[in-house]
Amino acid sequence: MKKIVWAILLVAGCGRKDFLDAKPSSDLFIPTTLEDFQNILDRDAMNETPALGELSSDNYYLLMYQFWQGLNNKERNAYIWAADTYQGQGSIGDWNMPYQEILGANVVLDGIDKVQVTDANRLQWSAIKGDAYFVRAYAFYNLAQIFAPVYDDATAASDMGIPLRLKPGIDEPSVRASVKATYEQVFSDLAQAYSLLPADIPWNNRNRASKPAVMALLARIYLGMRKYEEAGVYADSCLHLYNALIDYNTVAVVSTPFLRSNAEALYQSRILSTTSVIKGSAINCVIDSGLFRSFDANDLRKQLFFTINQNTNLPNARNSYTGLTFCFSGLATDEVYLTRAECYARAGNTQAGLNDLNTLLQNRWKTGTFTPVTAASPAQALGIILAERRKELFFRGLRWTDIRRLNKEGYNIVLTRVLNGQTYQLLPGDLRYVLPIPPDVITLGGIPQNPR
Amino acid sequence: MLSLKPIAALLVIACLLTGIDTYAQQVTLSHKNASLKTVFDDIEKQTGYYFFYDRAMLRLAGKVTVQVKDVPLKEALDQCFKGQPIEWVLVGKNITLRQTGAFGREPPESVIPPMLVKGMIINESGEPVPGATVFIKGTGTQVAAGENGLFSLTADSNAHLLITSVNYETQEVPLSGRAQVNVRLKKWVTELNHAVVSNGYQRLNGGGLTGTFVKIDNELLNRRVSSNILDHLDGITSGLLFNKNNTTGLNQSSISIRGRSTIYANPEPLIVLDNFPYTGDINNINPADIESITVLKDAAAASIWGALSGNGVIVIITKKGRYNQPVRVSFTSSLTVGGKPDLYYTPVLSSADYISVERILFKKPYYTDWENDPGHRVISPAVEIMIKNRDGKISDADANAQLDALSRVDTRNDLEKYFYRNSVNQQYALNLSGGYTNHHYYFSAGYDKNLSNAVGNAYNRVTLNTSNTYALLKQKLELSAGIIFSAAKTTNSSSARQLMPNYPYLQLAGADGGPLPVYTGFRQPYKDTAGGGNLLNWNYKPLDELRLADDVTRLTDYRINLGLKYSILKGLDAALYYQYNKGSTDERNYRSQNTYFTRDLINQYTQVTPAGFSRAIPLGGIFDKSLNDYEVNNIRGQVNYSHAWKEEHELTAIAGAELRRLDGGLNITRQYGYDKDRRTSIKVDYLSSYSIYPAPSTNIKIPMVDVDRSTTDHYISYYSNAVYTWRHRYIVSASARRDESNLFGVNTNQKGVPLWSAGLAWIVSKEDFYRCDDWLPYLKLRVTDGYNGNVDRTVSAYTTILLNGGVNQYGVSSATINNPANPSLRWEKTNMVNAGIDFAFRHDRVSGSLEYYIKKGRDLIGFSPLDPTTGFLNNFKGNTADMLGNGLDLLLNIKSNEKSFRWYGTVLMSYTTDKVTSYKVKQASIASYYNPGSFNPLQGNPLYSVYALKWMGLDNQDGDPLGFLKGQKSTDYNSIVNSTDLGDLIYKGPANPTVFGSLRNTFSWKQLDLSFNITWKFGYYFRRTSIAYDDLYKGASPGHPDFDRRWQKAGDEKTTNVPSMNVPGDFQRDIFYRYSEVLVEKGDHIRLQDIRLGYELKKEQAKKLHVRGAQLYVYANNIGLLWKANDKGIDPDYVTGIPNPRSLAMGVTIEF
Repeated sequence: MKKIVWAILLVAGCGRKDFLDAKPSSDLFIPTTLEDFQNILDRDAMNETPALGELSSDNYYLLMYQFWQGLNNKERNAYIWAADTYQGQGSIGDWNMPYQEILGANVVLDGIDKVQVTDANRLQWSAIKGDAYFVRAYAFYNLAQIFAPVYDDATAASDMGIPLRLKPGIDEPSVRASVKATYEQVFSDLAQAYSLLPADIPWNNRNRASKPAVMALLARIYLGMRKYEEAGVYADSCLHLYNALIDYNTVAVVSTPFLRSNAEALYQSRILSTTSVIKGSAINCVIDSGLFRSFDANDLRKQLFFTINQNTNLPNARNSYTGLTFCFSGLATDEVYLTRAECYARAGNTQAGLNDLNTLLQNRWKTGTFTPVTAASPAQALGIILAERRKELFFRGLRWTDIRRLNKEGYNIVLTRVLNGQTYQLLPGDLRYVLPIPPDVITLGGIPQNPR
Repeated sequence: MLSLKPIAALLVIACLLTGIDTYAQQVTLSHKNASLKTVFDDIEKQTGYYFFYDRAMLRLAGKVTVQVKDVPLKEALDQCFKGQPIEWVLVGKNITLRQTGAFGREPPESVIPPMLVKGMIINESGEPVPGATVFIKGTGTQVAAGENGLFSLTADSNAHLLITSVNYETQEVPLSGRAQVNVRLKKWVTELNHAVVSNGYQRLNGGGLTGTFVKIDNELLNRRVSSNILDHLDGITSGLLFNKNNTTGLNQSSISIRGRSTIYANPEPLIVLDNFPYTGDINNINPADIESITVLKDAAAASIWGALSGNGVIVIITKKGRYNQPVRVSFTSSLTVGGKPDLYYTPVLSSADYISVERILFKKPYYTDWENDPGHRVISPAVEIMIKNRDGKISDADANAQLDALSRVDTRNDLEKYFYRNSVNQQYALNLSGGYTNHHYYFSAGYDKNLSNAVGNAYNRVTLNTSNTYALLKQKLELSAGIIFSAAKTTNSSSARQLMPNYPYLQLAGADGGPLPVYTGFRQPYKDTAGGGNLLNWNYKPLDELRLADDVTRLTDYRINLGLKYSILKGLDAALYYQYNKGSTDERNYRSQNTYFTRDLINQYTQVTPAGFSRAIPLGGIFDKSLNDYEVNNIRGQVNYSHAWKEEHELTAIAGAELRRLDGGLNITRQYGYDKDRRTSIKVDYLSSYSIYPAPSTNIKIPMVDVDRSTTDHYISYYSNAVYTWRHRYIVSASARRDESNLFGVNTNQKGVPLWSAGLAWIVSKEDFYRCDDWLPYLKLRVTDGYNGNVDRTVSAYTTILLNGGVNQYGVSSATINNPANPSLRWEKTNMVNAGIDFAFRHDRVSGSLEYYIKKGRDLIGFSPLDPTTGFLNNFKGNTADMLGNGLDLLLNIKSNEKSFRWYGTVLMSYTTDKVTSYKVKQASIASYYNPGSFNPLQGNPLYSVYALKWMGLDNQDGDPLGFLKGQKSTDYNSIVNSTDLGDLIYKGPANPTVFGSLRNTFSWKQLDLSFNITWKFGYYFRRTSIAYDDLYKGASPGHPDFDRRWQKAGDEKTTNVPSMNVPGDFQRDIFYRYSEVLVEKGDHIRLQDIRLGYELKKEQAKKLHVRGAQLYVYANNIGLLWKANDKGIDPDYVTGIPNPRSLAMGVTIEF
């Protein structure tokens, strides 16, 4: 019988596959062109990162108990590192948003190979495909910072990572890969991305990735894995491609000092836009006093990063490198300088490390007030660099990863909150450094929960 | 396109060549040197006997001269063939001719060579019996008749043939040298099981089946009078229910077979016309062209249609000619006159009450906001009078006099007078059919002209149908070709009624019959003054609108059928079928500048500035065109095999593959400033925003209604079906089908998981040990199991995206993924297990069947929450829901002794339930369930259920309705109606009948036939309407006479459930009352559907009129309810809307 069908189809001039692949309705808009794929990647929500790390970190405290009480379960519990973060709350953007981004990337990767590559579209084609790989790697990496343990060579193969969805379908079950497999997937995606992406930063579309962005991300990832040699190499490679810094003396002290197209931003992303606590000008979100006090009066960052609320007389955050109230969690040259500086120092190259630090700070202090930093030993240099890292990269979604990795090295950072007279602490090595997976994901996806 | 001309020409020739038949015994012939053909025609005409012969043989014959007067036929025949190389044999009414040896020399008896014998096997209804087995007595030779009842074999000319078939009496036929044998088999015991049914792929012998087929034969089909073929099935088809009171948006079906087994997918049964699924409007089929309808109910019957069969299948077979059939001409005509609709059926507040309510509201004052409304909402004529009176423009006496006058007006009087009339439907159909040994044909033409009871609505249809079948290559090859064409025109004036406001005291015409304006749209004083004279007249006169309506829809449909069938071997043939179908629905709605719609739009978009005024929408008409067209290509290759061994084993099997492609398009365009005579229009600016009347601050673009859409469905299917019978009593059947489609996901197309069925049947009464022959001569048990499929077009196997409006942060466009690729998207599956018993008591006095079935809907399309890790956050629509149903179908045929006065009774009784057994999404508020406008399945209940809110009576202080909230009486209506506790929802029962059936009685006396059909529906609920104060005040409802029964003083709560009048209204309070349990009524009712009186001319009478036969009938339809459970005067089939008026039809059928 099949032969009859073949014969008929042959006469009709089409193959069985074509016949069955026909689009059933003109109302269905199936992504098939480069424009479609670019549209998917250009959605604003494709560049959001989880907030739970920053919510759980020590850059801020909440002013009012009533305000805390009014927060949603997630933000309220993350603040005090409660074991049950969600108390039944579903639709958690920290999990859902990265996976939406991964879906977008997977749809692009699934379909783009069907687009004929010509001389005319080759560059666009590779930029889109590379961007999709980058988006996926970035999302996997960001998820792993919140929902998987910090990378440790000794246990990575057995530690539970995150589900690695590589196809846009919904049929395959979600399975948690190991931490090792998670990072391997990230590196494999970034290798693809690097080979495809343009060397130039897309100046008008900072939501799209480029070769420098890949290098910067790799530097960030290796630093978090405490593979400082690699981190240093990638930071260096990035700065070879692009190393501009903004001279803060040229920046006006206004509520939005920086634009999203600022010179340092290699790649734009922001902490979940739905986050209500950590935002520019959020009155109840007060900057950690020690952190705020650590800025010198001549340090322009003190004015450009913070604003003193008239009523409370306490520091709040200003709008960030996103050019909006949302916190910047993307990649920027300042971070890369600090990463390279740290890696130099850790490698014993004090001077090189301090050179990078000084280059950065030169652009941060009021002209003529800055005295280059010096250090007697690599260890001393490292201490200074790490302190500056915390100051410079405030509210960038990086502190959580830094605490996790530094506590692995005996820095013994203890997080403390005082709320309504009660003191909460998070000690190094606590299981709560890995956030629980939202309950709806556990129920619907059937994946194992993190121990708390 | 195939040319009609040669076919028509053939038909005309056929007409001329073949004689016309009457009944007579004596023959008078007077021919000189005439051809035998001419003489045969003469004899056929006089006697009603038919000649069977090979036309080639006549060439051998010479001319005949015969002169006889009133001699017996035999004698006349002898005369004719004297000296001819032809001899004749008379069997029944057939005169079969054969060649005598070589020109008259008889060869010696002993050396008779085996000869080729051909024949056709038909049943008592004249239908070919497919698959009957023909044995040569005393030898092992046997053949099976083909699907068309034809067979051929070689046998000695003196052999005896034995013809057997399940449920027919075995018949022995001596060949006596005949080369052509036509055998009429007698049914074996019961009428129920001998019908020949078609499943659209093959014709099957009803008695030898395991599945559930319901055949509606031609006579029963013609009992009812209607232009729509499906109407003819209502009330006469077991297990088939016509659903009334359907609401748009709830995916309800107009017809359901054995209940419901899908949620969001297509709920309608598959309709098959001849070989292929029917697409297009069912109204394109002329019932006069239909021979029979078979409804396939269980898996064994329907699953051959695979992914299309989940709701059952209705196979419609058109009339065809037959081989060796003299030409027959039949003319039918009917005239149906229907009454005006009963406008008083819908309960509304009387004009006096309405005005008294308005008086109360006016005093509150309720209308102050309305008077100051910048939107200039319309205020009723009565209230305008009150305003004038208040403002001192008219005196109290004048105002009261005017209001009194209004309260005596009832809009329905004018509506009845000007908007409704008696409906008049005329139907005419002429058909002609006939056939020779190697060719048969059918030709028909039909014309329907229906004037609806709404003035301005009419329907005209012309249908043409022709088919020709040729037997070629020694009848090994059968070639058929046919065209069915239909063109219909519908004119519609319903738009004239759409804007009619709700006041019950509208005057549509003045004393002189001239159209009067009614208040609608905006407040009348505003209309009169707005735009400072620059606007067009803004009045709305319904009578003018009726006259101006120009909305015409044309349906065109044609389908070309080609068929090729070749007999490869005995019992094995291969067939190829092709159908091309194209059709369209073309609606053209021209609303001239005089229509309110157009004037209103032009006025709203008129731009008045100090400098002058301009019109954004130009003067002239508005012309909307909507073209819905489709093109379908079907091609099928099939192999048929049927064989029998040693009278004990019979096998019928088919296997085939088909390819189906449907392309559909929808194109809607609007032209503004249209000039109908010149066919010109004026371009408008769709992009700019305009300030519009009556709220000049709002900026709105000119409405753009243009749509261009297309769909394409592709199917590849493989199927096979086999029935094996052993010893005529044990029957095993099996079928399997695999569908691939562009609507399914990749995995479904790749994995070969077919839909299948299997069945067993046992004719107990044929067993040797069976001892009940004397009182129960027929008993058959059968059981089947299998899967049917269903398709949901709204879900996609592909990832789809939605373009986001506007631009992203970087100023470029972006898109959101809105539908996941679902590679495992597949058809819905309905598993049906069916067990049945067929029986016939002695003399067929009582016969019938009883069946029980269980229906499980699996993989039904439903919503379910999705693991967010997939990246999809919305509920996912996929194969996630399940349903379960079961039911019983009982059919009883009862008949009296065969005397001059006869009585037949047919009882149909069906029970069917359904339940959603798995549904993944729960709604937050109970409003999603009790509100019948939304469609949310609730696990554990029937898909369509009536839910209600608990009623705690009326408050004895203020007459407020009391609800139930958190364990106590409450008037917190907002919380009650939006409760999130599913426990607050009361399940009243199914919304569709669970028990239904009919009793048809036929009395027959001499030439008269009287029949009437009583139908019933039980076991369901509906919600009646009552007073909704807030809607009444806002003019959104005409009120309800329950108003008179409202709570007015303490103590009334003991006698009434109608809440007190509250001013201002509280819509939450109204919602609570509307959906409370006191307004739920039982739907049970019994109806006398119709009565038919028929008269058939005696043969002698017919002869006098020079026709072969004639029938006259009178048919009364929609007669009325005999009983209903509710005491509110509501016909449960018409909870909304007005019952179909009674109609009376007269008709005639004449056969020539």
